[in-house]
Amino acid sequence: MTAAAVVSPVDDEAVGESGRARSIAGHVVLTLLSVACVFPIYWLYATSLRAPEDVYSLSVLPWPLSLENYADAFAKTDMVGMLVNTTVMAVLTALGQLLVALLAAYAFAAWRFRFQKLLYLMFVGTWLVPFQVTMLPNYVLLSRLDLLDTLAGVIIPTLCSAMGVLLLRQHLMGFPKELLDAARMDGRSSWGILWTVVVPTLRPVLAALGILLAITAWNEYFWPALVLRRGNDVVQLGLRSFMGTEGNDWGPLMATAGLTCLPVFLLYLVLQRHIVNAFVRSGLK
Amino acid sequence: MSRIHLQGLTRRFGGVTAVDDIWLDVADGEFLVLLGPSGCGKSTLLRMIAGLLAPTDGRVLLDEADITHLPARERDLAIVFQSYALYPHLSVARNIGFPLRARRWSRDEIQAKVAEVAAVLDLSELVARKPKELSGGQRQRVALARALVRDPGAFLMDEPLSNLDAKLRSSTRAEISGLHRRLGATVVYVTHDQVEAMTMATRIVLLDKGRLEQVGTPEEVYDRPESTFVAGFLGSPPMNLLTAEVVPDGDALRVRAADLDLPLGITADTPPRPVALGVRPEHLRLTTPDAAGIRGVVRTVENLGSEEVAHCVVGDERLCLRGARPLGLHAGDPVHLTAAPENLHLFDPGSGRRLAWQPVPSFSHHPPPLPHPAPSPI
Repeated sequence: MTAAAVVSPVDDEAVGESGRARSIAGHVVLTLLSVACVFPIYWLYATSLRAPEDVYSLSVLPWPLSLENYADAFAKTDMVGMLVNTTVMAVLTALGQLLVALLAAYAFAAWRFRFQKLLYLMFVGTWLVPFQVTMLPNYVLLSRLDLLDTLAGVIIPTLCSAMGVLLLRQHLMGFPKELLDAARMDGRSSWGILWTVVVPTLRPVLAALGILLAITAWNEYFWPALVLRRGNDVVQLGLRSFMGTEGNDWGPLMATAGLTCLPVFLLYLVLQRHIVNAFVRSGLK
Repeated sequence: MSRIHLQGLTRRFGGVTAVDDIWLDVADGEFLVLLGPSGCGKSTLLRMIAGLLAPTDGRVLLDEADITHLPARERDLAIVFQSYALYPHLSVARNIGFPLRARRWSRDEIQAKVAEVAAVLDLSELVARKPKELSGGQRQRVALARALVRDPGAFLMDEPLSNLDAKLRSSTRAEISGLHRRLGATVVYVTHDQVEAMTMATRIVLLDKGRLEQVGTPEEVYDRPESTFVAGFLGSPPMNLLTAEVVPDGDALRVRAADLDLPLGITADTPPRPVALGVRPEHLRLTTPDAAGIRGVVRTVENLGSEEVAHCVVGDERLCLRGARPLGLHAGDPVHLTAAPENLHLFDPGSGRRLAWQPVPSFSHHPPPLPHPAPSPI
């Protein structure tokens, strides 16, 4: 005991010193990574706030500040219309994906049926198929259904999110079975149990997943560009207005890009806890 | 309240038979406890009665109506789970009223009924709270209230006290017993806790490996165990089981082994027969070294507060003695014990079934092949 008492402060000191060094090294690495992540976004807003003639300036601080690029962006595009369209597209896509994922996950987790495992693997397997493979058949189908150049054409083919199914199924697998049994004994049908017990209990998970799906839909560029072709109905496509064969109009382009990011940043500020939760729960990103 | 009849109820999971051919009648107003070790099939049996699990074979009847294939929600049964299974997003009042909303009662009717049941279970002050704001005991009462509110034909309870601490378990036990008496309810109660079974049951069903071992009142299963399994399961410490032999001694029978010689109190003659001798720890008494009885050595003495348990060795076998503290024994002491003949139990060493003395009719010319296994108690 005595020996241990004498030795332990020395050990503590050694652990403390190496621990402090590790902590400093860790902070340095994390700071560098943070700067690498944040700097492009800072540069985007800095450029958007420079006067048009200073757009190519390399000064770190955008001075004098100017909102001319924003005015230019609003003048050259239907910014409000695009923001509304993008919001509608993101919200409807997220809600649709949530509904499909909920029903599929409930079936896979709470029911036993023939070929269940195979069906589940096929469902989740669609996640492994690159978008470029399904892009053309979907495009042809939309063309036949006369849905090209419409928001419906953007939304409908994306209504099944394999990630959503996977995530919700995992949560439902861990859902207390006794709660489902209790609801059955209390007189609810399977459909009733889903809406009166499962959905209210899973509300935080559904909220987190909904936010994740909405952000993904909001940030989508390629699929809307394909379906909407030359139209600039969503804000990500509006960016194209400032890209030309003779060069890019960097000022309004950065202003539009800044406005495009803004709703997501605001959503993050307001629902920070839920969004972090969503990423943690999904374990995907 | 309703009666429940189980007719040859069987459940197999692949090659494993979890519940094996159970025939059982639960009378109106009875508090029947399904007791057995983990994995004996008691919860599976309860889930089949509830309709949460389809039986492989057999029938479930509720008041003579066959409900074997009726969905759980259409059976007139309520269940209380070990985890309480309260809906976490609903208040206590809405939890209690949940079964009534599913049955489309009007809002006023639900409110009145919930208030009535909440008052019975002393929950009136808590109706606005969410389950996470309640203690374990309060949650348990809410789960009971949710079962009570429907006025079901029978209550099914799956180890409802297992998550409570010892003190709360004792008071809730008394509360459930009191509720059963007041309502005259039919209750099927699953537990692995013999104290719960002994204190609450009007009848105990002992299960082992999916089969019925014994059905009887708490006194019957404790005082007259029908098998070595029942003898070894009930009691704390359980009944001592010693390898011995029944032998004639003059015109009486005795049970003997190395370091063991006790009279059986039976005047008869029979060929020697190997038996398993059972004697409860509390029925053993200290005696003088020169008297016939059991000779052993004390290994350890446990202090239980009001009582002491002495763990002894008799030959190659272990034996427990329980008595008021102090027993006056210490580790290493030689000990001489005896027990009254009426407290000795004999079991067949092969089948483990109880042996009973059956006098032979006087006209018989053959010596009786006694003792012999008792008829099946079920």
